[in-house]
Amino acid sequence: MNLSLEHINKAFESKVRLGIMSALMVNEEIDFTTLKSLLDLTDGNLASHTRSLEELGYIQSKKQFIGRKPNTTFQMTESGKAAFSEHLKALEDFLKISLGN
Amino acid sequence: MENKEVIDTLSEIRDMMAKSSKVLSLSGLSCALVGVLALLACGAAQYVLSNPSWMHYQKVSILTTLALILLVICAATVFLFARYKAKKNNYRFTFDQTSRRMLWNFAIPLITGGILCIGLIHQAHYGLTSSMMLIFYGLALINLSSYTFSSTKYLGYAQVILGLIDFMAVNHSLIFWAIGFGVCHIIYGILFYFLKERKGER
Repeated sequence: MNLSLEHINKAFESKVRLGIMSALMVNEEIDFTTLKSLLDLTDGNLASHTRSLEELGYIQSKKQFIGRKPNTTFQMTESGKAAFSEHLKALEDFLKISLGN
Repeated sequence: MENKEVIDTLSEIRDMMAKSSKVLSLSGLSCALVGVLALLACGAAQYVLSNPSWMHYQKVSILTTLALILLVICAATVFLFARYKAKKNNYRFTFDQTSRRMLWNFAIPLITGGILCIGLIHQAHYGLTSSMMLIFYGLALINLSSYTFSSTKYLGYAQVILGLIDFMAVNHSLIFWAIGFGVCHIIYGILFYFLKERKGER
């Protein structure tokens, strides 16, 4: 059981980050506003979480202007995909083992 | 970490994946209501067609207007029911990326079919319009199913098949149209409401 717990990623313990990763896993890209309404967060709160995920290299952002409004879209990186898949697998393995006992 | 915690986390992940990629506020009741409206419109169309006092060109323009009014009322019905369902279930109801993508993918086959139908009416191929409407509407539903409840594709398959049969069988356009847009919508809407929405509420 310890073995699978090792793979549970600390970066995804926060609900918000887990939400961001889950949403980006099934979408090519998501813009800031959509992500904000999906997770029901304030601008600052979402920005701090996306920044830390970006620093970990799990997601990348793309800034562009639509007219005069800045618009940021987020994408998952390959390493983000790998890390999140591993996290998911660890959670599932943990369940399998503990339900098996 | 507790089992329950892990189960909750996994279900949160699944919910977020569904919520972020699909529009879940479409309502089964609005689908059934659209079917009822379509049947009423069929009754009106039958009345217009069998009335000898109108000229041919008058009938065409009355039926076209009727179809456009029906389209607007149906779109409004679906919109209002979706807004109500979103409010009741605390879903977000915004014109965001997810809903834009859904509408766009639904619109592509629909607009293509619509332009084709205008062309057919213009060239006086009236009998073909109902099968084209059914086929393209069915394709639009199948396309839509990736962006909302996936079961809408079955309604789409039914429409496409009916459209193709209608295309082969001459002179029964209104009946096929009534079965496709009326009866199929009502059956699907009611099934969806009882199997999916009511179940989800409990």
